[in-house]
Amino acid sequence: MRGPLSKRLFLWTLVWAVVLTLSAPTFVIIGASLTAGEMLQFPPEGLSFKWYRQLWQLDDFKHALTRTFYVSLICTLLSLPVGTLAAIAMVRYRFRFQGTLQVYLLLPFTIPLVVSGLSMMLFFGDIRVLGQLWPVGVGLCAINIPFMIWSVSASVNALDPELENAAANCGAPPVQAFLTVTVPAVMPGIITGALLMFILAFNEFLVSLFLTDSRTVTLPVQIYNSIRSVITPDLAAVSVVFILIAVVTIGLLDRLVGLEIFLRSK
Amino acid sequence: MNRTLNRKPIAWTLLDAVEISASTVWPFRGRAAVARAFLLPAVLVVGLLLVGLGYIIEYSFHELDITTYRLKDEYSIINYHTVLERPVYLRVLGRTVLASLIVTFLTITLALPYAYVLVRTASAAMRKFLLFALFLPFFIGQVVRAYGWLIILGREGLINAAVTSLGLPTLDLIYTYPAVLFGLIQYMLPFAVLLLIPAIAAIGEDMELASEGLGAHWVATFRYVVLPLAKPGLVGASVVVFTLTMTDFAMPEILGGGTNDFIASAIYDSFFQISNPGLGAALSVILIAVGSLLVMGFFLAAGPGTLGFRSRV
Repeated sequence: MRGPLSKRLFLWTLVWAVVLTLSAPTFVIIGASLTAGEMLQFPPEGLSFKWYRQLWQLDDFKHALTRTFYVSLICTLLSLPVGTLAAIAMVRYRFRFQGTLQVYLLLPFTIPLVVSGLSMMLFFGDIRVLGQLWPVGVGLCAINIPFMIWSVSASVNALDPELENAAANCGAPPVQAFLTVTVPAVMPGIITGALLMFILAFNEFLVSLFLTDSRTVTLPVQIYNSIRSVITPDLAAVSVVFILIAVVTIGLLDRLVGLEIFLRSK
Repeated sequence: MNRTLNRKPIAWTLLDAVEISASTVWPFRGRAAVARAFLLPAVLVVGLLLVGLGYIIEYSFHELDITTYRLKDEYSIINYHTVLERPVYLRVLGRTVLASLIVTFLTITLALPYAYVLVRTASAAMRKFLLFALFLPFFIGQVVRAYGWLIILGREGLINAAVTSLGLPTLDLIYTYPAVLFGLIQYMLPFAVLLLIPAIAAIGEDMELASEGLGAHWVATFRYVVLPLAKPGLVGASVVVFTLTMTDFAMPEILGGGTNDFIASAIYDSFFQISNPGLGAALSVILIAVGSLLVMGFFLAAGPGTLGFRSRV
């Protein structure tokens, strides 16, 4: 970055303060999970993986982890066609009530999560699907779908419509043009959106709290329930699972589309 | 001639079949019908929330029957009366709105330099690092991050361990209003930066160069060139941070420890602690009303910013 020393000093000080604030919980959790002592304390009494070993023997934890994966997968698989088609329609087509529809599709962001969770709890309870696992995935898709539409619409915005016209001009029927020109061109947006949907569903706590019970509890809800009682290092080890999955997701995002995709101007 | 060259690839045959079936299933002409079909699944998925919202509104108009602990059949606005009558709810609402304003202001103040440096830095490695530092907490989730802060700020946590080892008395860092605000700011920072980046990336660096070339101090350039041009991002980021803070549950619960409840906690408690879903539903409706009014007013004053799906032309 160019500029006088005072500017660079000012900005970098703020930036490093933010980096520290953002990273502090992550490092502390990793540190706490490796402690050899019984209670959490600093500095830890030497290194040990015993909390991880103990974790692996807990069926509760393994089941909750499996359920969380399952729910996130349903959410992602559902959002792929739903969000992609909606994004293409919103950007490529002109139709009546487009503004209203945009507001409608942003509803999941404007309705508070606590209300969304309760709403779906009442609705799912009424149609007798509450207590099963798949409605949780559908519910998580409903609250996060704008992220998918956003990611894909950013790619559609960047795609020259003449490319599709050229395909049609060369004799490609509509479905073929869609599958061989439009979809590959917006693939970065689709991948970004799908990864976002997965990781957000994996971490979602509040809506899952309303839609799960003791038999279908997902990992974030279980952590929350345990925080309320005593603080122990095994909870830190569970949290590290989330950190690992976050790192893997960022790695995938960077490999497949590049993190720089978020630096596009608008 | 080679036989394989004459044969149509299977993929083509498949595509043709898809094409033919698509045109039989979808005999409509014109682009409007296609757009409607593309949007239908998303409309249905979001519709789930809308249907559920109907239940909430319906519940809010039924009073709790104390004898049976069920909602009465007849309609009444008694729940709304209760909310407005009991000072505790107005106090919680006031605390929530105040926190949202403070968190929004501080988060944007911290996120703006971060987004600016991220866009402007010449080093690709530094950019990667800053993006990674941003995405890691973003992808870790609120409960886990709150747990991290609990370890740092708790009564037997990192800071207090350091303080007591110096012979000083234990500090009450956790379960306070500032702790909740701090946790919320940390939670909101990635959202704010990600929404500010597109706006800042759209500002040509030559604009700043021109301003500085004409003799403006960098502070003046930032104030009169960067800030006004970043307005769409500031609008988008402020609205998202404000609404997310106003409706947050986990941070006030975990870092506030029941002493600094936000409105979401009051809603939760109405449903699951005092078992009065009608009252909780009324609180939900009020939360949506207050939130929407504030956001709508803001949008009317400032436009949709970077929140729209379509890029600005």
